[in-house]
Amino acid sequence: MLHSAISRLASALSMLFVVATLVFAIQVVIPGDPAELLLSSAGSTPTPENIAALRVEMGLDRPLLQQYVEFLWGAVRLDFGNSLIDNSSIGQTIATRLPRTLELIAVAMSIAVAVAVPFGTHAALRAGGRLDTAGSGVSALFAAVPVFVIGTLLILLFAQTLKLTPAGGYADFGSAPIQHLSNLVLPAITVAMSIFPIIFRMTRSSVLDSLSNEWVRTALAKGLPRRAVVRRHVLRNALGPVVTVIGLQLGILLGSTVLVEFVFNWPGLSGYLVTAVEQRDYPTVRAIILVVAAIFIFINLLIELLQMKLDPRVQL
Amino acid sequence: MSRLHALTMSRRAFLAAAGAGIAAVQLPGSASAQADAGVLRYALSAFPPSLSPWLNAGAAASTVKTLIMRGLLGYDTEGQLIGEIAESWAAVDPTTYDFKLRANAVFSNGKPVRAQDVIWTVNQISAPESTAHLRTTLNQVESMEALDDHTVRLILTKPNAALPFALASPNAAILAEGSTEDAPIACGPFRLAQQERGVFIEVERNPDYYKNGSPQVDKIRLTAYADENLRMAALESGDVDIIEYVPWSAYSRFDNNDRMKLSGSLGPFHVVLFNTSKPPFDNPLVRQAIGYAINREDIVAAAFAGQGEPLYGFPNPPGSAYQASTPENSYTYDPERAKALLAEAGYADGFNCTLLATSTYGMLQDTAVVVAAYLQAIGINAELKLPEWASRITAGNEGQYDIAIHGTVGEYNDPDSLYPLLHSSVKTFQNSFGFASERIDTLLEKGRGELDPAKREEIYKQLAQAYFEEVPQAPLVWRVQSFGLARNVEGFQCLPGFLGVTSTAILLDQARFV
Repeated sequence: MLHSAISRLASALSMLFVVATLVFAIQVVIPGDPAELLLSSAGSTPTPENIAALRVEMGLDRPLLQQYVEFLWGAVRLDFGNSLIDNSSIGQTIATRLPRTLELIAVAMSIAVAVAVPFGTHAALRAGGRLDTAGSGVSALFAAVPVFVIGTLLILLFAQTLKLTPAGGYADFGSAPIQHLSNLVLPAITVAMSIFPIIFRMTRSSVLDSLSNEWVRTALAKGLPRRAVVRRHVLRNALGPVVTVIGLQLGILLGSTVLVEFVFNWPGLSGYLVTAVEQRDYPTVRAIILVVAAIFIFINLLIELLQMKLDPRVQL
Repeated sequence: MSRLHALTMSRRAFLAAAGAGIAAVQLPGSASAQADAGVLRYALSAFPPSLSPWLNAGAAASTVKTLIMRGLLGYDTEGQLIGEIAESWAAVDPTTYDFKLRANAVFSNGKPVRAQDVIWTVNQISAPESTAHLRTTLNQVESMEALDDHTVRLILTKPNAALPFALASPNAAILAEGSTEDAPIACGPFRLAQQERGVFIEVERNPDYYKNGSPQVDKIRLTAYADENLRMAALESGDVDIIEYVPWSAYSRFDNNDRMKLSGSLGPFHVVLFNTSKPPFDNPLVRQAIGYAINREDIVAAAFAGQGEPLYGFPNPPGSAYQASTPENSYTYDPERAKALLAEAGYADGFNCTLLATSTYGMLQDTAVVVAAYLQAIGINAELKLPEWASRITAGNEGQYDIAIHGTVGEYNDPDSLYPLLHSSVKTFQNSFGFASERIDTLLEKGRGELDPAKREEIYKQLAQAYFEEVPQAPLVWRVQSFGLARNVEGFQCLPGFLGVTSTAILLDQARFV
């Protein structure tokens, strides 16, 4: 047990090393130059000397190998250095922004689960019924319409027409809790709508699957109320795959809330990554990708270790 | 009966509860709509990448810098030069300028602004390792002298008509001697109060500002709204009071609207750039053919929802003091003539080429699509290349294109602001790659070195003719650039011409609620 745990940890670390090397390679492979870009706004005509001076200031004139080693050594110490663009601490920015993305994901996931699991269960219990048809229709619709369209429509309806919520933005929970929540509502619903179909369909098919088991017929035959059978036996067995899907979605959402954050001006981590890429702020891009990859790998590691603990048959 | 009664009661109760629920949800929304009268909320189109005082980091950075820092000169609401830190200035002779500083101008550290601070600032900007935007311009300052504590004399190596405009630039802030770029000590109408990188910047009123009665608001909160549609929605829903870069498709929403208004001007313009370092665009006849091949009204309609005007010749800025273009040097739409020019150049059957634009800005992509269609009509097959912005800049700087669609703007409303876009000594993504014309260079230098208005006008007429014949860029359209304002905001309006984009923020200290 301990031995395999250590070997899992070692492989997670080597995966992180590969990710780190790949994100460093971005700088070499992708065209564009941060100094050139920063000075090249509409109307400005930077001289080559200006750009060269800024490159020196940003430290981009140092040998690549030296930059690579410094980056790795920094990452080991969890020191990601400063942004090329405005010299602010990258670690601090991530510490401010990551919780906001996590908050958005957590709230959206709670909403989606709270709606999709009961809905999916009922749809399966009355498969082919009106509720089932409606659920399938709604989930097909949500799966087909891109999040930025859903988001824009929600803004049009709730902010511009009904004026119930702000169109977008962010307020600190500590100083303006109500404002904070009213800013959170629309983006959270948008994300929730995008994951609803996946959870709904998984719940529905999984419950259907469980219902077809012979022990269900046995339980009903021996006189257990249908309600109890569904709650105590069918649902419990059916939720396994659903939980797996939810876990997977959590990881995927870390990187894919970009569009929603952009549409609603929610200042989370993924929106920040996009800006950093646009500005070719290499150290920031590297740090964010590395942090997200580390979270992803860490969650997977945790789940694997948990499975080993829970089910001795699982050998890794 | 009683049962019916109970039912209606419960429905009423339900409605009341629902109403209370809606009211509860509405609270924060309406709270945000009726903000503090002393706080002006401004929606930026991007978060300033850098607030380094002398670095040119784009329009959003200029806006914020103008709030917290000021230079010697500035602009009034008509776009005319006026004194800022300098209460007056005079050219003693063509190469000598005296600036009289305001006696009541003080830095945020409480010390008065002295001639010595101006001299120190100019030296910092023109230092060899400086990344300052105006380094080359201020390198032409031969010497400086403090005539007294509040009078400074600048002596230039040669006459330069553009000097006053340079000193009114958002990149020419006067800082206290010994300031660092990270912690500039300035004397603008506002001071930086708080900020979160990428999200918002808040500035608060500087009580010691040298202009009486301004600024008019206590605070300005600038929030970055990168998505233009959300920016517009934020104005419509009352989340903000001023937005910049109103999307063109939204202009009609300001018609008959009693809660918001539009203030804009013609300024930025779009052109076709050529790679003149290789055939076929090294041939001026081919470049002229492009000039005649395009129906510019279609670009205005397709890319700017009608909010612009065709540009037929030399892009003399609106608001310029000079008349330069004539009907004779205009590229009107004439496909037959374009084909004849191509035939004369030896390309009667047309050719294939690449057309570089960017997918980052829809207006540039749309312009490129229209241009490609018109080129097709005269036998030129242009293959669209639409990389994102950073790659577009690199491709432009390295000449990896045949022709490129570009939108740009000068820095001040004088034909001299086109110097960096047309002179062969400037080689950036904004210039046609490899283009060099002695004739155009000479005229640009003459215009810059001449201070007499009548002679300057003559020079710029010749320049417009040279532009028409040699086609350093094929002119396409002017576009309207606008600010959207809540109805109750007064004292702020878009400056004319090129200044609309670069310098309008200088009026924010006059903005107030009515």
